[in-house]
Amino acid sequence: MKRTLFILLRNPLSALGLFLVALVVLSAVFADFIAPFPTHAGAVVDFANFNKPPEWPYVFGTDLVGRDLFSRILYAYRISLLLGVVVLVVAVPIGVTIGLVAGYLGGWTEYVLMRITDVFLSIPPLVLAMSMMGLLQPTLTNGMLAVTAMWWPWYTRLVYNLARSEKEEGYVLAAEVIGASKAHVIFREILPNCVPSIVTKMTLDLGFVILIASSLSFLGLGVQPPTPDLGSMVADGAKYLPDSWWLTVFPGLAILVAVFGFNLVGDALRDVLGTGQ
Amino acid sequence: MTAPTLAIRDLTLGFRGWAGQVDVLHGISLHIMKGERVALVGESGSGKSVTARIVLGLLQQLKTARIGGLVAFEGQDLSTLSARQRHALRGTRMSMIFQDPTSSLNPVYRIGSQFHEVLKRAEPGISAADARRKAQAALADVAIPDPARALDSYSFQLSGGMNQRVMIAMALANEPSLLIADEPGTALDVTVQAQTLSLMRALVEKHHTSVLFISHNLGVVREFADRVYVIYKGRIVEHGRSADLFADPRHPYTRALLSAVPRITGGGIPEIDDVSESYFAPMVVHEGCGEPGEVG
Amino acid sequence: MTALLSLDRVSKTFTQGRHEVRAVDDVSLDVIQGECLAIVGESGSGKSTVANMILGIYPPTAGTIAFRGEALPAARTLAHRRAIQLVQQNPLSSLNPKRSIGASLRLPLDVHDLGPRAARAARVGVLLEEVGLPADYARRTPESLSGGQRQRVAIARALACQSDLVVLDEPTSALDVLVQARVLKLLNDLRKGRGLTYVFITHDLSVVRNIADRVAVFERGRLVELNPTETIFSDPHHPYTRRLIGAVPVVTADEVRLRDRLMENDNERA
Repeated sequence: MKRTLFILLRNPLSALGLFLVALVVLSAVFADFIAPFPTHAGAVVDFANFNKPPEWPYVFGTDLVGRDLFSRILYAYRISLLLGVVVLVVAVPIGVTIGLVAGYLGGWTEYVLMRITDVFLSIPPLVLAMSMMGLLQPTLTNGMLAVTAMWWPWYTRLVYNLARSEKEEGYVLAAEVIGASKAHVIFREILPNCVPSIVTKMTLDLGFVILIASSLSFLGLGVQPPTPDLGSMVADGAKYLPDSWWLTVFPGLAILVAVFGFNLVGDALRDVLGTGQ
Repeated sequence: MTAPTLAIRDLTLGFRGWAGQVDVLHGISLHIMKGERVALVGESGSGKSVTARIVLGLLQQLKTARIGGLVAFEGQDLSTLSARQRHALRGTRMSMIFQDPTSSLNPVYRIGSQFHEVLKRAEPGISAADARRKAQAALADVAIPDPARALDSYSFQLSGGMNQRVMIAMALANEPSLLIADEPGTALDVTVQAQTLSLMRALVEKHHTSVLFISHNLGVVREFADRVYVIYKGRIVEHGRSADLFADPRHPYTRALLSAVPRITGGGIPEIDDVSESYFAPMVVHEGCGEPGEVG
Repeated sequence: MTALLSLDRVSKTFTQGRHEVRAVDDVSLDVIQGECLAIVGESGSGKSTVANMILGIYPPTAGTIAFRGEALPAARTLAHRRAIQLVQQNPLSSLNPKRSIGASLRLPLDVHDLGPRAARAARVGVLLEEVGLPADYARRTPESLSGGQRQRVAIARALACQSDLVVLDEPTSALDVLVQARVLKLLNDLRKGRGLTYVFITHDLSVVRNIADRVAVFERGRLVELNPTETIFSDPHHPYTRRLIGAVPVVTADEVRLRDRLMENDNERA
């Protein structure tokens, strides 16, 4: 662990990634203390200060109803991260378990599980999410549900391939010859060897989940107002380009910082943990 | 007296890691005269394979490697050559054979086109027809029954023993003056290994090729090499002609190593230390085996 | 002389697409209680297939394998698994890199419910000491051990099952010669001390000479010779056995004489 951190900090790119990720996470966690106008995360109106360019105390400017953009971005990070974490917490165990079982057991179990996975993989993610949101109500919960439904198959694919190669290792044979149960072999022997790859992918994916969630709300299918969301902020502001540029540029930059940061860290982890594929 | 094909003097090697420098070679010296077969024998981690890599010029570019001492190939100091000049030597004046023949050959190209590439290293303008003729002759030299068919095959269609012969033929195709063989045939069956070794021995004898033979297998070394250097933890501990060294091992490490080899005449398994202070005893050089320029 | 394990007319055929490969062809042999039986051959000889069938990794296509006179089923019971254990060639791969040495040794105790639960941690320490390693190695990872130490752990794991038969699949061929000598010595001592029976799969005849009681020579799936070790090395009957001995790289003049004598006999008989 210490060694991993040491190597990460020595490389300028991964150090930058760690810095950006720390920035995003700290903003989200301490939004209540950092935000100059904490109430602006909600349905507040201040027509005296609407649509102001960046100037003190509104460092990123204000939106069309006079709310401080900087404060709203901090709270939007909180929502995005929460969304990302919840999606991964649900999708990863499902995907990993199916991948492990299919990869280790083989035979018809593998056939059935992997064909189901392929069906999900063959639907373009945004299309799947859009149709689910169209059928259900476009709420935050359904947004998470939709993103989760399209996320687990990628973990199944990843872990399935890992499990198939780990299965050939001597330690699996040793456990089988001893008479250990299939559950033991799958979860206690094979799974620990897949963890570095899973963690790497999760780090990369946190950025992508934020991006997808933003895309959905950009299309009006994600988080609903007045809850602050980076995607809908960009969408709302796009109508007023180029005059009110701050409405789109700052939320857009916020998305960029988060996605870029998680990507840099994920890439660096892949190199350090030796989980390149 | 002409310069030895290969002369190594006080070679040191260290790797700089994040936990400081790790020394791998502590000043080793060895030489190979023209047409001589010299073995460097030691256990894993003794430094025998990195020595071969330095001679091939493969470690010099590595940023973390610290190399000291002299490596001279046909009288020319390798450290005075550029990376490009060292590259030009490989595959022409010096060539190599590795442990696993099947993975050393590229499975997507036919043997014939890989052979053509090898011949182009020495003669860039060689025509396909000339290359094919030369390759056929080279494969016939290593006793491959149907050279034309072998050239049209892929490596995975041939047996391990056949691939090893192809590797030997390729390594000798450009008439190198030095052949470096790193654990050749270790991945092969014993009967196949025995055949390929005697084949290789006959060929290098015919071409007067000098050989640096890297191995952990004392039996194989005894049957192949004229002279032997025993290496232990980056230090040469004993040096002598094969016949002398195997009949009369003098260094405690060589003695331990030799007595640890199980005999087909029986005698059980001896009680031997795998580590001992005595293995660091000073180097023993057998009569008439000094390094050139030293009083042997 | 009781047979601990008997192979009776055992064959194994693998199907690859439309091809049928007969990996083991009509082999019958007994492994006697307390002996070390070497199974010798080159790649494609079927020696590993025999080992895998003994271990129950896959069943034979024809014939029966009996343990203590009782035919072994295709699906092994836990008791069968406990009785027949394995030491693999590559100790780096045979120990899970993500689990501690202690966890790897504890597994057989837990699976077979050997000894009281509370005493198992101490039992792991005793097992390590029996193979010549300090008890506190239980906390280490395989990565921090040398090849020889890892192989000792793999041997301790086979001992943990209190098995009767241990299949040794090239247990020393990945090791350096000094380490090999010490591991072979350990295996020999354990067999004598605990009355174990070994099936020793190898291609290395010089090792076989010094550890086996009897040698079974396999060539292309067939058992071509089965004799006491003394006979194999003084008067081998099958030409393939003589060829194998003739190819062993040797280090002493005595061995060269033995090899030459056997090859001469070969030429005379041919």
